[in-house]
Amino acid sequence: MLRKLMLVGLAAVLLFGMAAIAQEPVTIEFWHAMSSGHQPNLQKLVDDFHAAYPYITVTLVYQGNYGALQSKIDAAVVAKNLPAIAQVYENWVTPIASILYPIGNFMTDAEKADIIDGLVPSNTYNGVLTTVPFNKSIMVLYYNKSLVTTPPTTWAEYFEMSKALTVDVDGDGKIDRYGTAFRPAANPEQFLIFLEQAGGSILSADWKEVALNNDAGKAAAEFVGSLIPYSFITSEYMSDHMKDAAMFVDTSAGIAYNVKAATNAGFELGVATLPAGPANFDSMIQGTNVAVFNTENLTQAQKDAAVLLAKFLIRPENTVFWAEKSGYQPVVKSAYNTQEWLNWVAAHDYQVQMSEQMLNSFSQILHPNYGDMRSVLSTGFEEIMRGVVPPLEGLESMATEIEALLE
Amino acid sequence: MKRPRGAGKKRAEAADRKTIRPLRLPRDRAFWRETLEAYWYLIPAFLVLGTFVFYPFFSAFKLSLFKWSSLNPPGDFIGFENYRYIFHDRFFWKDLGHTFYYVGITVPVTLTLAILVATLLNKGLRLLSFARTSFFLSYISPIVAMVMVWRWMYNVDYGLINYFLSLVGIDAIAWLNDPRYALPAVIILSVWHYVGYQAIILLAGMQSIEQQYYDAAKVDGASGFQTWWKVTVPLLSPQIFFVFIISLIGSFKVFTEVYVLFNGPGPLRSAETIVYYIIRSAGRIDNVGNHTGRAAAASVVLFGIIFLFTIIQLTVTQKRVHYD
Repeated sequence: MLRKLMLVGLAAVLLFGMAAIAQEPVTIEFWHAMSSGHQPNLQKLVDDFHAAYPYITVTLVYQGNYGALQSKIDAAVVAKNLPAIAQVYENWVTPIASILYPIGNFMTDAEKADIIDGLVPSNTYNGVLTTVPFNKSIMVLYYNKSLVTTPPTTWAEYFEMSKALTVDVDGDGKIDRYGTAFRPAANPEQFLIFLEQAGGSILSADWKEVALNNDAGKAAAEFVGSLIPYSFITSEYMSDHMKDAAMFVDTSAGIAYNVKAATNAGFELGVATLPAGPANFDSMIQGTNVAVFNTENLTQAQKDAAVLLAKFLIRPENTVFWAEKSGYQPVVKSAYNTQEWLNWVAAHDYQVQMSEQMLNSFSQILHPNYGDMRSVLSTGFEEIMRGVVPPLEGLESMATEIEALLE
Repeated sequence: MKRPRGAGKKRAEAADRKTIRPLRLPRDRAFWRETLEAYWYLIPAFLVLGTFVFYPFFSAFKLSLFKWSSLNPPGDFIGFENYRYIFHDRFFWKDLGHTFYYVGITVPVTLTLAILVATLLNKGLRLLSFARTSFFLSYISPIVAMVMVWRWMYNVDYGLINYFLSLVGIDAIAWLNDPRYALPAVIILSVWHYVGYQAIILLAGMQSIEQQYYDAAKVDGASGFQTWWKVTVPLLSPQIFFVFIISLIGSFKVFTEVYVLFNGPGPLRSAETIVYYIIRSAGRIDNVGNHTGRAAAASVVLFGIIFLFTIIQLTVTQKRVHYD
C-alpha cells in the first residue's frame, strides 16, 4: 500500500514538475513582411495561438517589405542573432539550410501528408520537411469576359484565341489589343510554367545537368515564340494594362487589383485554370514559407515554441482564415474540404479555379543557385519575348548560362 | 661667346628658389603643443570620416577579394576572381555604358539649365521668393513620391507628357515599356529633380558678386550678354565647379529613380545602372543570389571611376576657377 502511495506521489510530483517546465514562460519573435492590411489578421492568428498556448508570447516584428526582411535576416545570420521564426522565400534560406530547425521532425505523418503536394518539394531540404508554407499564391489565367466566353483549355486553343483576339481596332496599322500578355522580366515563372506543362524542368532530377534545352524545353520555347505576335509585353503590373490584352497569366494574389482595374476599364474579369500543355496543366506556386532557426542565440524552449507556432499556422482552420482575409491560398489539402472554405468558395466563384489550380501545381527547386538561375531566365525570357533573339537560340543561351551556375 | 638661350632666366629662377626657400621654423615646445592641439580638433572629423568613409571603403575592398558566405563571413579568399567575373559579365559593361550615357547627358544639361534659371531668378523678379521656392520644391520632394507621380506622367495612354507630345503631332511613346526611351525617361526626371537645387546654389553665388564688377563693365560699355559671360560666369566659377563635382558624383550613383520608376531595371534591363548592378549583385533586389563579393568589386571599380573623374575635373577646371 505504502509503495503504491509512494508511486502515486512520485507520479504526481513528476507530472507537476513537467507541467511546471512546460508552463515556463517563453517569448519568441516572428519576423514578417506583411503590410498593414494583413497585420490585424496575422495578429488575430497570434492571439488565437496565445489562447492555445498561454505560456508562449509571440512578438510580431514587421520588417518592412520583403527586401528589407531579407536584409535583416542576412544581417542577423552574420550577427548570429536570428529570431526564432520568420517568413522566408526559398532562395533566401537555401544557402543557409544548415541553420534551419527541421519543423517536419515534429509533425505527424498525417500532418506532413496534408501539405499540398506541389508545396512539399520546396519545403524539403535533404529529404526532411524543414520549413512550412505560409502565404502562397498560384498563377492562373485571367480573361476579359466580354471577349472570351469560354477560356482556352489547351495550348492549341490558347494560341488560336490569342491570334483571333489580337486586333487593330482603329485600322491605323498598330495593334490596339493583344490576345494575351506576358511580363517576362518580372515573371520568368511564366516560362517555367510552359516548361513544366511540356514535361520539362530547369535541371535533371539529380541537379547535375541542365535539362532546360531538352525536347520539353524546346517545345515550351517554340510555343511561347509562336505567341510573340499576339502578346503584349510589359514589365509593369497587368492592372496598369487591363485594356491591352484579352487574356493573361498572373498571380492569384493580384485578384483584387486586377478585378478593380477591369471594372474601371469597363469589363468583367474571369479566372480560369491554365491551358494544358502536352504533359499537364500545372501552375507554379509562389510566396513565402515559415522557417524556424536553429542557432545558438535561441533556447530550446524558444525553438519548440516556434515549431508550435509554425504548425499552428497551417492548421486547416487557420490557413483558411488567413486565405479568406489575405487573398492567399490555403496550404493544406484538408482546408479545401472545410465547411468554412466551401462557403467561401461558393461566395467567390473565381476561387473554384484557383483551388483547382493549387491542387495541380509545382514550386521552385531548392538549388542554392536558384536565385541566379531565375535571373538568367528573367533576362533570357524577356529577350525572347521582345524578339531580341529567336526562341531556340535564347533557350540555348539560357541553358549555357545556367550550366555555368552548376560548376 | 654666345650664351645659350634662357640660361640667364634659369639662373634667375635658381636664385629665386634659393631666396624663397621654405622657411624652417624652429620646432620648439610651443610648435608641438599647437600641432597637438590641432590634432585634438581634428579628431572628431577623423572619427566620423574614418567610421563612415574610410573604413567602409577598405572593408568593401577586402570583401571584394572573398566569395561571400553568410554563415562564415566574409567567406573564402578568392583573390581577384570577383573582378574577373564582373569584367566578363556583359551586363556590367552594359550598365557602365548606361551610367556614362546618363551622366554624360544629365550633368551638362542640368548645369546649363540651372545657370539659365539662376540668371533669370537673379533678374529681380517680382515673385522671386515664390519662384525660388517653386524650383526648390522639386528637389526637396521625397524622391519616391516624386517618381510615382512621374510614372503617371509617363503613362502611355493617359500621361501628361504624351498629351503634350500629341499636341505637336508626335505619336504616343511607351516611355516605361520601350527600351529606347527607358533611360531618357530617367534622364528627363533627374534633370527636373536637380535643376532647382543647382539653380539655388548658383543664385546664391550670383547674388554675392559685388556690384563694382558690373559697374566697371557698364563703364566699359559691355552689353548684357558680355557682362554675363565675362563677369557673372567667371565669378560664379567656384559655385559652378562645386555643383559640377557634386552633380557628377551623384549622377554616377543613380539608382532610386530607376528602381522606383520601373520597379526593376527597365525593359530589357535598358535603364540598369552600375549602382543597380551593385545592389542586384548583393542579392538585395530582383530576387537573385547574394554575391556580396562581386557587389563589393563593382563598387571598388565605381569608386575608381568617380575618383578618376574628380581628379581630372580638379586638374582641368581649377585653372579656370576664380576664387576672387
